[in-house]
Amino acid sequence: MFENLKKIVGEQYVTDDPAICYSYSRDQHWNFVPAKSPACIVMPGTRDEIREILLFADENKIPVIPWSTGINVRSLTIPVHDNSILLDLSRLNRIIEINEEMMTATVEPGVTFGQLMEETVKCNLRPSFPDAPLTASVLANNYLRGIYQTSSADGHDHTLSFEMILPNGELIKTGSRAFSDMQHFRYGIGPDIAGMMAASPGTWGVVTELTLKLYRVYDFEQAYFVGFDSVEDAMPFIRDINRDGLVESCRLLDHHSYITGLFGTFDYDYEKLPEFVACILVAGIDGIFQAKNELVKKHISESPGKLLDIPATLSTHFREETIAGSEKSCMVFGLRGNYHCIGIYGPLTHVPKYWELHKKTASDAGIPDDHVYFYVNPIAPFYGQLCYIELDIFYDGSDAEMGKKIREYNNLQFPRLLDAEIYGWFRPYAGIIEPTLDRIGYQAELWKRFMEIADPNQIMNRGKLF
Amino acid sequence: MQPEEMKEAIYRCGKCKLCSIATYHPNEKSLPICPSGEYYRYQAFFAPGRLEVLRGVLDDEIENSEGLLKVAYACTLCGACYEKCREISSIEQNHAEIFEEMRNLLVEKGWMMDAHRDIMEKVSETGNAYAAPVSEDYGHGKREDTLYFIGCTSRYREPEIVDAMIAVLEASGEKFSILGDETCCGSVLFRTGQREAGEVQVQKNIRAIKESGAKRIVFTCPGCLMTFKKNYPDLGVELLHSTEFITQCLDRLPLKKLDMNVTYHDPCHLGRHLGIYNEPREILNRITNLHEMKRIREQSWCCGSGGGVKSAFDDFALWSAGERIREAGDVADILTSACPFCKRNLAEAADGMEIYDVVELVKLALEV
Repeated sequence: MFENLKKIVGEQYVTDDPAICYSYSRDQHWNFVPAKSPACIVMPGTRDEIREILLFADENKIPVIPWSTGINVRSLTIPVHDNSILLDLSRLNRIIEINEEMMTATVEPGVTFGQLMEETVKCNLRPSFPDAPLTASVLANNYLRGIYQTSSADGHDHTLSFEMILPNGELIKTGSRAFSDMQHFRYGIGPDIAGMMAASPGTWGVVTELTLKLYRVYDFEQAYFVGFDSVEDAMPFIRDINRDGLVESCRLLDHHSYITGLFGTFDYDYEKLPEFVACILVAGIDGIFQAKNELVKKHISESPGKLLDIPATLSTHFREETIAGSEKSCMVFGLRGNYHCIGIYGPLTHVPKYWELHKKTASDAGIPDDHVYFYVNPIAPFYGQLCYIELDIFYDGSDAEMGKKIREYNNLQFPRLLDAEIYGWFRPYAGIIEPTLDRIGYQAELWKRFMEIADPNQIMNRGKLF
Repeated sequence: MQPEEMKEAIYRCGKCKLCSIATYHPNEKSLPICPSGEYYRYQAFFAPGRLEVLRGVLDDEIENSEGLLKVAYACTLCGACYEKCREISSIEQNHAEIFEEMRNLLVEKGWMMDAHRDIMEKVSETGNAYAAPVSEDYGHGKREDTLYFIGCTSRYREPEIVDAMIAVLEASGEKFSILGDETCCGSVLFRTGQREAGEVQVQKNIRAIKESGAKRIVFTCPGCLMTFKKNYPDLGVELLHSTEFITQCLDRLPLKKLDMNVTYHDPCHLGRHLGIYNEPREILNRITNLHEMKRIREQSWCCGSGGGVKSAFDDFALWSAGERIREAGDVADILTSACPFCKRNLAEAADGMEIYDVVELVKLALEV
């Protein structure tokens, strides 16, 4: 294998050294997915090299794990099978185009959010950011349905089109890209192939180029922080400001956990805040901003919440995290060393129920109350009161006993959430596939058959789907 | 450092890899700060990957290999990853120290670079890392309260720094001595995991310092200074870097302003490891027109020379220096540092850029 890969990419860009391979064997999800080293790492520099590698792997039925910039927190790039090739795509790091007129960017897998923001901000545009650090791959996050609304106004679907090399070496292009040089529309002809492929366990092929939406950076902005004593108290306020499309960003969260990252500091007395805080950013062009701002102020005054006086530097951090490149969200690792989360989509109406269920299941699994937190991000436009909800547990990752408890939490919580009704899982986490497949009837069979067509030799790290 | 401490650091790494870039806001620039990761590219060469490899060593899951040696030793131990990480994770374990401890573990197993073994043998045989004939040119026989500890690199490779420091000491009116038979402080041995050999040097120097009667020691080499502070017992002697000494007597030195546009490169040992950032800048602001690069202070880009990299991976060392030279060229005509290792490595990659140690510019400012 090594010799064949060397012929494709050159000696400099392939290694089977056990120590170097070992460094790819874990991410921070080690309590849930066991460490496993790939057999070799290969770093292609071109699309043609990727195609040759896939053809070689497919012919020899060798599993392939695409890896973009290495910021993975759910073991999505940890090998499942022995003798896997890890396809490190970090050399493909070109921003192919920023189209100011069309408000789009086209990137390769190795482009990070930091790199892209640095360029887009020059034309007052920005991508939608996940809470992931600026070192994360733009392409992988968009392809994996990884943009979970640090900015509510951005909506949900940011991917316009992409090109993918399948295991058989065929190149497919999605959306308008399929038959034209214009890459700016998701639905070109026939079914939404991009939508079908997003968020599968493993992948269907290797995405080499992706076009995504960019959003305006406005001159006029104002942040507000509103404290609530309970999740229920906050619901009407959160509903109204999102239903009326008034806010650029909106996150309701507890005052212990993710707020540290949003405020960008450990050095603040978070205990003095109300138990739940709604962090809101209003933004817009002159005129519209002022109108929205007045309406938001009115909603705040009419709500049971308390307007909080937050220091300007912390407010600036919130603005940066939400629309200018999230950098400090990883401070959650500073709370206890590691964190576990289940990310789901669901309606705002169900949020108090999810929160209660989160606490109950954690308690049933023997997890202390002070490890258990959450946040909710509404997503515009607010049909179905769509929200991204994150159920978090902050813990010491070296504590094997706690790891066991959290695995038990997962076993209990996945079916409970399905019973409580959710819109969907954020990502194909370890453990969610089995209980969910049982409930989706023939769709599971159809899904498998589609994947069999694209990847008949099952080389794309599908995990538990099959 | 105990294995438990190392494991705590390993288990606190969330693999966010923010340790590989400078703080983005408010400069709005995504700038790399991990030379090893940028040069070798594989995950193993960034701090999160290197920590994983250390886990494999601690758990006896990794055997010796060419790759293991490269991962362990092709790192300058610059500590940029730690400075960034502690902002994010509030972690207290210093990655530079952890990676140095990793080398100790490997050396105990006999897994080390030939180039580093060669240095150890040279130090053992000649008292200096370059196996140069012992130079007593600088020896001042007198016992004085202040001792100038020159260090191997300045003494045998960058004598302009020594000449400049002697001129500055003389201009300050400070009476000082220099050890004629000065021997290696042990820095390169400790940094490459050769702790036992380093301890031999410590004992030699303790005897020499005691015999000198010095009450304070001035260093032009931050590596020597850090080693005295970190690896030596408390000698009851004040330890100062040249830039600290000069700052203390800045007002009594007859300095003129030089018509020079300079920028300053923070040496890792001086800045990140000892926290000395302001003194060199205070001096340069007094005698030159100082223009800052984008990556400075805690988030400075390493010159590429430290941690035994220059001797074992010269291509990587020179590439790192070249990156710094390009960055310096964006803001100034002259690049200064305050470390003989930095000066030497940067000068090799200078591509026309003038490179000075801060003390050399102070000497020039005395002569105007």
